[in-house]
Amino acid sequence: MIHIRLKRFAEQILFASNIFIAFLLLFENKLVIPPWLQTIGRMHPLILHFPIVILLLAMIMEFFRFRTENSGNTFYRNYSQNLLLVGSLFAAVTVTMGLFLSREEGYSGETLIWHKWTGAALFFIASLIYLLRNKSWYKAATAKAAALMTVVALVLTGHYGAAITHGENFIFEPVSSQKEMAAMPLEKAEVFKDVIKPIFEQKCVSCHNPDKMKGELVLTDSKSILKGGKTGKLFVPGNPSLSLLLKRIHLSVDDKKHMPPIGKTQLTAEEITLLALWVKENAGFSKKVIALPATDSLRIFAVARLKPVIKQEEVFDFAAADEETIKKLNNDYRTVSEVARESPALSVNIYNRSAFNASQLDELEEVKKQIVSLNLNKMPVKDSELNRISKFENLRKLDLNFTDITAKGLKELTSLKYLYSLALSGTKINFKDLEAVIPAFKNLKTISVWDTGLSSSELEKLQKANAKINFIGGFKDDGKKPLKLNIPQIKNSSTIFSQTIPLQLKHPIKGVDIRFTTNGLEPDSINSPVFDGKTILSQNTTIKAKAFKTGWLSSDVVTFDFFRSAYKPDSVNLLFPLDRVHQAEGAKTFFNSKLGVIGANNPAWANNWAAVKENDMTLVCEFKKPVPISSVGLHYMIEEDTGIFPPELVEIWGGSNPKQLKLLTKITAALPSKWDKPSLKSVEGKFKTETVTYLKIVAKPLKKMPKWHRDKDKKALLLIDEMFLN
Amino acid sequence: MEKEILEHGLNFNRRRFLSSMSLGIGGVALGSLLMPNLFDGTGAEEGLAPGIPHFAPKAKRVIYLFQNGAPSQQELFDYKPKLRDLFGQEIPPSVRGTQRLTGMTANQASFPLVGSFVDFKQYGESRAWISDLMPYTSKIVDDICIIKSMYTEAINHDPALTFLQTGSQQGNRPSMGSWLSYGLGNENKNLPSFTVLLSRGVGNGQGVYSKLWSNGFLDSVHQGVQFSKGEDPVLYLRDPEGMNRTDRRDMLDNISQLNDLSYQEFGDPEITAKVKQYEMAYRMQTAVPEVMDLSKESDDIIKLYGPDCLVPGTFAANCLLARKLSENGVRFVQLYHQGWDQHGNLPFEIAKQAKDVDQASAALITDLKQRGLLDETLVIWGGEFGRTSYTQGKLTTDNYGRDHHPRCFTIWMAGGGIKPGIVYGETDELGYNIASNPVHVHDFQATVLHQLGLNHEKLIFKHLGRRYRLTDVSGKVVNDIIS
Repeated sequence: MIHIRLKRFAEQILFASNIFIAFLLLFENKLVIPPWLQTIGRMHPLILHFPIVILLLAMIMEFFRFRTENSGNTFYRNYSQNLLLVGSLFAAVTVTMGLFLSREEGYSGETLIWHKWTGAALFFIASLIYLLRNKSWYKAATAKAAALMTVVALVLTGHYGAAITHGENFIFEPVSSQKEMAAMPLEKAEVFKDVIKPIFEQKCVSCHNPDKMKGELVLTDSKSILKGGKTGKLFVPGNPSLSLLLKRIHLSVDDKKHMPPIGKTQLTAEEITLLALWVKENAGFSKKVIALPATDSLRIFAVARLKPVIKQEEVFDFAAADEETIKKLNNDYRTVSEVARESPALSVNIYNRSAFNASQLDELEEVKKQIVSLNLNKMPVKDSELNRISKFENLRKLDLNFTDITAKGLKELTSLKYLYSLALSGTKINFKDLEAVIPAFKNLKTISVWDTGLSSSELEKLQKANAKINFIGGFKDDGKKPLKLNIPQIKNSSTIFSQTIPLQLKHPIKGVDIRFTTNGLEPDSINSPVFDGKTILSQNTTIKAKAFKTGWLSSDVVTFDFFRSAYKPDSVNLLFPLDRVHQAEGAKTFFNSKLGVIGANNPAWANNWAAVKENDMTLVCEFKKPVPISSVGLHYMIEEDTGIFPPELVEIWGGSNPKQLKLLTKITAALPSKWDKPSLKSVEGKFKTETVTYLKIVAKPLKKMPKWHRDKDKKALLLIDEMFLN
Repeated sequence: MEKEILEHGLNFNRRRFLSSMSLGIGGVALGSLLMPNLFDGTGAEEGLAPGIPHFAPKAKRVIYLFQNGAPSQQELFDYKPKLRDLFGQEIPPSVRGTQRLTGMTANQASFPLVGSFVDFKQYGESRAWISDLMPYTSKIVDDICIIKSMYTEAINHDPALTFLQTGSQQGNRPSMGSWLSYGLGNENKNLPSFTVLLSRGVGNGQGVYSKLWSNGFLDSVHQGVQFSKGEDPVLYLRDPEGMNRTDRRDMLDNISQLNDLSYQEFGDPEITAKVKQYEMAYRMQTAVPEVMDLSKESDDIIKLYGPDCLVPGTFAANCLLARKLSENGVRFVQLYHQGWDQHGNLPFEIAKQAKDVDQASAALITDLKQRGLLDETLVIWGGEFGRTSYTQGKLTTDNYGRDHHPRCFTIWMAGGGIKPGIVYGETDELGYNIASNPVHVHDFQATVLHQLGLNHEKLIFKHLGRRYRLTDVSGKVVNDIIS
């Protein structure tokens, strides 16, 4: 009967334990724990798993105890009784140890109190069940309730205990902590709050929290961090070598004082660097990451750490539409497309204002649930048609820019509970109606109201009243910084004419005054004539023009040179070849009414200039009928930097017999100076009127470039695009 | 003979089989450790059918403001005060390394460093540094993401441009716009899904050619359509005089019947592609003039983009057109602005180039934003590579040039789910090498595709026995710049 005596003994111990623990709880504050008892107390985490498992098992058996197959079973009866006894005894030991441990420094706070009282409660309940479970009134219902109560106490005790050891939210931490980081955009991130504190939270706070102040150190808030712990201050801002924090984390792992202690999750190299930089740069507790210089190491590391988790795609809870239906709804002016593969959502765009008909919306009835985005930009949609859109119950994004709707009609759309983006730019919405209807949109995030006649103060009012919605006002010229007009343009297809030419100027902007001069002076806004399309030119003229308009700065001056060329030869022959690169249109180049320009990037530079360098440019023009000629002009380019110079000499020969031509005149042109900007020039040789059938023009390129030029004494290039005969 | 077969059978007994199998399985297991998705069955090899995004896209459309010729990052975005301090000093060999140089500076005797002639300031909440050459861009820094750490593999314009546009330096692959057209399909059936607009600045220019907007081996409906300035923005679109719409319709119907017959006979898919193009051209005859008409743009819009936006063929006009095309559902609007190749005379030329593009580029962002379109339109601004921190040619106090530099350059992106108001990546103090977060051209392309809902590893076209991608065989989405 030894086991019966043993059982009696154990029962007595259990009873004694109850009293002992009650005593401990009552006089807890007065207890002083000697070191040898501390050792026992520290075995709390070791022993606590026994009562958990044993009591859990005992309670399962308790729960099913009154089932007929169990209640008659002697083994079941004895076994469950003994199991509960053993479990309660283990609970007694664990609670005692726990109470000892809690007296050590570094344990305090709300979690501990909860753990202590749930633990004690668990022990008392278990003991009570053991005491009462064989009474006659103790039936199935009581057993079940008792078992459930014990298990709840067990779970709570275990949970609070774990929270003390591992920190709160230990289990969900891997999932939740990253989400918090993701929610923080870089521009708002703070060095301490979003970078340093999370490191503490993940690796330090499980021991250094107000509940479990190991080394009297708490790392949960800035005040406590500055305060430091038992050994002293954690760090001296800006002085990493005096920092206890850095010293501890840099100690070798097997050093007793290394933090985090061996066995706990260690800091990564990156985290150590971040902490070190944080101390070194004295970044404090409220500095923003972007307030640091862009090349700052702390910023670079912090930014790397703030890496976001990519946002999950929105999941829609409606079924996909039939593929055939979608296909059928697509036509030339309406696109119905799936937002993505395997997504039931549809996006609809309607185009072509003239073909728009409200029935295009009605036809979407079959997919009304699936439409999440609808684009009606520039369609003549009216208020009365908006109720058709309100049927698209899952609509997220609606573009009504430049439609014919008003703010009154928006009422119809307030039933769209998912709508977050609404574009109303260019519509006739007014402030009063908009102000009234906006609060009814519960989920709206952005609304664009540019070009609607809302004043900026009205917009401000709306923004203030609806802080959750982003009102996009856009650009409106306030006239404070007028822009400069661009230069007037010329409409004449060529500025080379034979007898007369109407001057045709234009400007791309409506309502611009073009003022011009013919005397080479800059036009002004008062005296110079306004271009009215009635000017006729009959001789070589330099037009200077400028554009004016109120609200704008006047344009730069633009110069247009008009050249009269009364006669065009019927045929032209070149006697010597042109330069290999600058062939243009060969002999036809000189009388094709096309002028070249400066700047190798322009096709008119490449295509309109004919050049010679090695030989003279000699051309013979033939007229079928004799013509009276009194002057010859040449249009050429100067770009001294690249060695393009004016002709050294031009000889004009004329007559009726090609073999016996007479020298009519010689022309020379002015040479440029060093650093002269590239320019286009013309030179004219006049002579007594001579009736000619043949005209020979000999233009000689410069044989030796001037001494100041870097290619001095070398041959220069002569570029000519047009010649004028009068 | 029989004996040998028997012997062979005996040689290959159970024991042998098991022992060699263990090796094989071990090898496969090891392989799976090295390549985690080896047995997924959804490996990168197989593409997905085109036409629908692979996952929900952030952006529906792209506008690419290509700055052709390679704008100098040192004068625009990448602020390097150190370069000014080191004016005229030789670039340290440790920085320059063994980089391949272009023929233009390879034989240069010295490589003196030169800093920006223009000052920089910080702007916006992001405190990004922007040079004084870009006053309008400085106002939108909080809407854009500046990437300072782009790098490429090519050192000359054509290969670099082709690489950025097609993912390969040789020009036989589809352009980015063609890939998107292929992957996403048309949004507006009245306009091509890929259009191209050209403009030319005053600076030293480099050519652009139609191979850059080629459909490569993709169906020809994905080819970029160039819209030119002048009366006929799309060539050959106008009906000849005397032909009315009904005649045109009848003609197309009849031709389409003939084409159907020949398709049934030969089965060439290009025949149906052609029929589709005829039909689209017919619809474009009304859609294009409507889009190209700038006369109805408000005064505010003209002042926003600057007066040049009404001068056809300018960058400003092309930006305005890009917005209109994009607003009308064109998937990819590709602009090229020539004239950024400042080998010499850089201070003078780049100031004019910057003035040409600054206002309109910023205006495009503002304009998209005020229409609620910026969140679904991805805007990209940048060239094909960067420029060197040392001067090309003669260095004087007020004039210098910069050669091609593939190791780092700056671009910016905005809208379309790209994080606004951030600066990503850094270069070293001399602006010569990347210091952090390098972004390869393929990474950039992968990111663009990702924003449009396409997995760059699954947007595949099989051609001549090989599966082709825009990102060739590499590229990683730059998640850090995605919001």
